Amino acid sequence: MNLKDCHNFYDFRKLAKKKLPSPIFHYIDGAADDEITYKRNSSAFNDVDLVPNVLRGVENIDLSTTIFGKKLDLPFYCAPTALQRLFHHDGERAVGKAAQKFNTMFGVSALATVSVEEIASLIDTPKMFQFYFHKDRGLNSAVLDRVKAAKFDVMALTVDTITGGNRERDLRTGFTSPPKLTLSSLFSFVSKPMWGINYLTKGKFELPHLQDYVQEGTSTATSIGNYFSSMLDQSMNWKDAEKLCSDWGGHFALKGIMSVDDAKRAVDIGCTGIMVSNHGGRQLDGSRSPFDQLKEIVDAVGDKIDVICEGGIQRGTHILKALSIGAKACSGGRLYLYALAAAGQAGVERALNQYRNELERDMKLMGCTKISDLNRNNLKFRN
Amino acid sequence: MNLNDCYNFEDFRKLAKKKLPAPIFHYIDGGADDEVTLNRNTNAFNECDLVPNILNSVGEPDLSITVFGTKINMPLFLSPTAMQSLYHPDGDKASARAAEKYGTIYSMSTMASFSIEEVSNISNGPKIFQLYIHKDQSITDDLIDRCKDANFNGMCITVDTIVAGNRERDHRTGFTTPPKFNLESLMSFVMRPKWVFNYFTNKKFELANLKNKTDKGTNIAKSVMEYINEQYDPAMNWKDAEYCIKKWNGPMALKGVMSVEDAKKAIDIGCTSIMISNHGGRQLDGSRAPFDQVKAIRDAVGDKLEIILDGGIRRGTHVLKSLAAGATACSFGKAFLFSLGAGGQQGVEKLLKNMREEIKRNMILMGCKNISELDSSKLIYRK
Repeated sequence: MNLKDCHNFYDFRKLAKKKLPSPIFHYIDGAADDEITYKRNSSAFNDVDLVPNVLRGVENIDLSTTIFGKKLDLPFYCAPTALQRLFHHDGERAVGKAAQKFNTMFGVSALATVSVEEIASLIDTPKMFQFYFHKDRGLNSAVLDRVKAAKFDVMALTVDTITGGNRERDLRTGFTSPPKLTLSSLFSFVSKPMWGINYLTKGKFELPHLQDYVQEGTSTATSIGNYFSSMLDQSMNWKDAEKLCSDWGGHFALKGIMSVDDAKRAVDIGCTGIMVSNHGGRQLDGSRSPFDQLKEIVDAVGDKIDVICEGGIQRGTHILKALSIGAKACSGGRLYLYALAAAGQAGVERALNQYRNELERDMKLMGCTKISDLNRNNLKFRN
Repeated sequence: MNLNDCYNFEDFRKLAKKKLPAPIFHYIDGGADDEVTLNRNTNAFNECDLVPNILNSVGEPDLSITVFGTKINMPLFLSPTAMQSLYHPDGDKASARAAEKYGTIYSMSTMASFSIEEVSNISNGPKIFQLYIHKDQSITDDLIDRCKDANFNGMCITVDTIVAGNRERDHRTGFTTPPKFNLESLMSFVMRPKWVFNYFTNKKFELANLKNKTDKGTNIAKSVMEYINEQYDPAMNWKDAEYCIKKWNGPMALKGVMSVEDAKKAIDIGCTSIMISNHGGRQLDGSRAPFDQVKAIRDAVGDKLEIILDGGIRRGTHVLKSLAAGATACSFGKAFLFSLGAGGQQGVEKLLKNMREEIKRNMILMGCKNISELDSSKLIYRK
């Protein structure tokens, strides 16, 4: 199996599984507890049907959408995800360049393995920085200043990782950052020698936004769950978010909003967008899926801020359904991470291209030529 | 296993799988993307229950209905399907003769492997023609004129293939017309020498209705999907459909209508019928199932349109449920293609006999003497 055989999400997943040491694959692939929410994130899309309109003349399709004041060529983007150089030695460089090629947003994680400065010098398309609110206030303000200096377009504060989720696959495989060789994981690292060679020869593994302040994650191996629980500030509240929003002074979003009340409060503190997200099912298992919750949230705040549906996206039709309900755009992590692991930048480009082609085809089949043609009349919820 | 062992859809499917090379079997069997809609088309029937009336002195029920201005002996007919000679060398001739024998409609695809004239020479049974509107209008005009000369009873314009669906099984098997032998699929051809023998000893594969107008799909090993994308007009609109209706000047359906709004428009432009269909789940995955949508459309159009439910039909009870929910008749493609692959004309006859017996038995069990007695009072939807 190689990149040419990848026609969809599941194919990329398979190829990624072949290429990655199993602790790393399962870090991407796994979720919290029994992974109920993780599965629901995608299956929720199947409870609603698309109802197309015919004979509308659909030669030219415009997929562009505007979020956070930036016009993107696609109504979906690469959500910020941590530790990308563990998945492919080019990491964020590969994803960023692929996103630039398709003129869509690239989200950079606080736990990124390439610095905001380097990314800013590499790509000139819209960029989002994902912020973790650390106990160390010095770290927080230093990161904010660097992101400002690097002229990122959007700041997104993650609000659903106040403590680490119970990712049981990571407990079993012993996944940590940086990766640690244990007796049980030894075989899986040895059996993927290319990964090992690249990891050791293609530049030192770093967390450039954090390593001047904390040892964990770079020189001290830690699980991501542990990192959240010990490094992030559990007393973070709406005041802190409001202050960060005004300190940033630009487009600001809360990532991980699930309730209508919180969505309204996000408007009140000056946010210009929210990501309806449960962190890809990796935090609170049994929590509601973004798509199931989207309608209520759009009804409450959709005319005031940009609502992004994040999580579970595996198909163009999933994006179509979320946009029909009123999301301004969709985003996801796994939707490009498996492709990154499978083949670096070429993999991510192939994945983004497939989603774009699917969307374009699906728009034609729906009888729609532009994103604003999509509305709830296109949908029927099953009883 | 042979034809005598075929009692139901699954049996015909199994036998067809044994007889057909894998790429060809999967071309029939597959749907778009994740095949969610393909599966839903049939599963939708299970969310609604039949409620029989007893002691009705039913006797021998009358299964006849009138559709496309033609009285047929059972409320189920053969959907138009392309390239039937890939499934059995007799192709459309076998299906047309079988349909005639059971007094029901044979439908010819624009992409049939025998021509309008060839089939009308061997069968006097009721026939409709499925029209694709081509970019080159002279092809469309020519087809309509020839159907008039051949005394076809009705026509339908397919409106849900504005672009080819994403049929991933075909990507994997390398399905093209005529079949392209690659190393991977070669074995499945080698294992079915009889199919290969028939393919090479019978009439050369061609798109018989189009051979004088285009060399695509005949001389060139081109996939059906590419043909659709190149030859069908994505700018097709209501005016184009209206033009064909006027030119035909007889019973005309739009095939692939799913929304209430479009069903009403179909009346306005002079259609006598619509076929509620998502192209057997082969185009827009995640779109609504015909059975889920039929009631809403019937409620909206009253008796101004004949409604043919196309998609998911595998059992006599599926037909009964469709008629009770508001359909005038049903049609099916996959089921009869498997029977054609399994045993040519004899196979299709066996299937039609099975279905007639099932419909008849179930009518008796429901306490209905004729089709018009099947109304919404006979159904209870589960919530």
